[in-house]
Amino acid sequence: MKNVRIVVVDDSALSIALISDMLEQNGYEVVGSAGGLEEVKEVITETMPDLVTMDMTMPGTDGLECTRAVHAINRDIRVIVVSSMMDDEIISQAKRNRVSGYIQKPVDEGDLIAMIERVMSAEELFNVLKADYFEVFKDALRDGLNRLTKTLITYQEEYLCETEYTAEGIAIMIGIIGEFPGKMLVSISKSTAHVLTTTVLKREPKSNEEIVETMSEFANIVAGNACSVLNKRNRAYGLRVSPPSVLSGENMRISPLNYPTYTAIGETVFGKMLINVGFKRGEIEAWT
Amino acid sequence: MDVKNVSPFMAAFNIVMPRLGFREIRKGDLQTKDKTFSGSGVIIIVGMVGELRGNVAYVFDTESAKKIAAAMLKVTNIDKLTEMSKSALGELTNMLTAHAATAFAAMKILMKISTPTCIEGDDIEITMSSEKVFCLQMMIDDSTIDVNISFEN
Repeated sequence: MKNVRIVVVDDSALSIALISDMLEQNGYEVVGSAGGLEEVKEVITETMPDLVTMDMTMPGTDGLECTRAVHAINRDIRVIVVSSMMDDEIISQAKRNRVSGYIQKPVDEGDLIAMIERVMSAEELFNVLKADYFEVFKDALRDGLNRLTKTLITYQEEYLCETEYTAEGIAIMIGIIGEFPGKMLVSISKSTAHVLTTTVLKREPKSNEEIVETMSEFANIVAGNACSVLNKRNRAYGLRVSPPSVLSGENMRISPLNYPTYTAIGETVFGKMLINVGFKRGEIEAWT
Repeated sequence: MDVKNVSPFMAAFNIVMPRLGFREIRKGDLQTKDKTFSGSGVIIIVGMVGELRGNVAYVFDTESAKKIAAAMLKVTNIDKLTEMSKSALGELTNMLTAHAATAFAAMKILMKISTPTCIEGDDIEITMSSEKVFCLQMMIDDSTIDVNISFEN
């Protein structure tokens, strides 16, 4: 696991010293500490840690307000609450504020280290998925098309998609669940879908419904195969796909909804095809 | 597709919407639809996979989408649906589907949910995976959301 940089937030100098010692003795790098809201904002902005240990009760503020301040600076920083207070209501509030874990004082060194390892290994797993998934889905689209039609796709354009894009014709949406949720969307024009269906069925499609069914099955094969390849690389992903939903229309404006996805547009003998895929870093949770 | 699979969504609306400051949450019509139907405005689809497999398509007409997004973003009104307002609606559908999944879990039906996909447009034809789709209409203050629920047999 990479070097994990940690900030310790607590209004007690003794607690900061005890927690910092535990962390450093276990190979973690304590890059700063804070005892109130303004100090939290300063130290997080300066150090950009991977993880924060957060006390719950502090003069003039609390751990939840400080957690929100941390995530306002960087949503990806993980927060583990370390507090003497612990009940169902506080845990529920902590979850709503995107706290990754909760551990009660007095801190057991083994529990704290195990929790940090769980939270950070999930983070690392997501980074591996992020590095791999787009190529795997592009390969699955290429292989799926080749198996069904003995033709090829040549990718011409690829980009990180952070803003709205427009799809014309048919868009097939498949949801993905697992350790990290995601989605895949394949979009093609109606004329491309018609020719592709004719080739797959080796006859003219009898109805628009038959085209939609063929395209749904095609997208289902692509997403299913891609998730299988990723699951073989690491079973911990546990990816599974939802049944396809198909949208047909002109000028369908598709939003990324606050998390980046990747798009590739390829040329085939049937026309252009667009594939868009994304996974979201889930709320990693580790509760004692 | 069983009508008992609709009640977790009603429960989700009754829990989530008041927490977001909406006052009046009423159930409208519940009807069955064929697998293909049309919708205009904002359509958000969330996949659900586990002991059941399916999708939920939330359809907001444009005016309802603007009013609900404005209330979530705590602004008086929204002239045009921006990325920010659609993100708010995406987050809403995520919360609703997650709460529905929790209600299914209480019925011993365990499922996880995908990320939402958000499409805006007019006269979009939507084809779900099951032959019959339950459409639950929910009235939220003076707005309406159609919740189209499709689970495979």
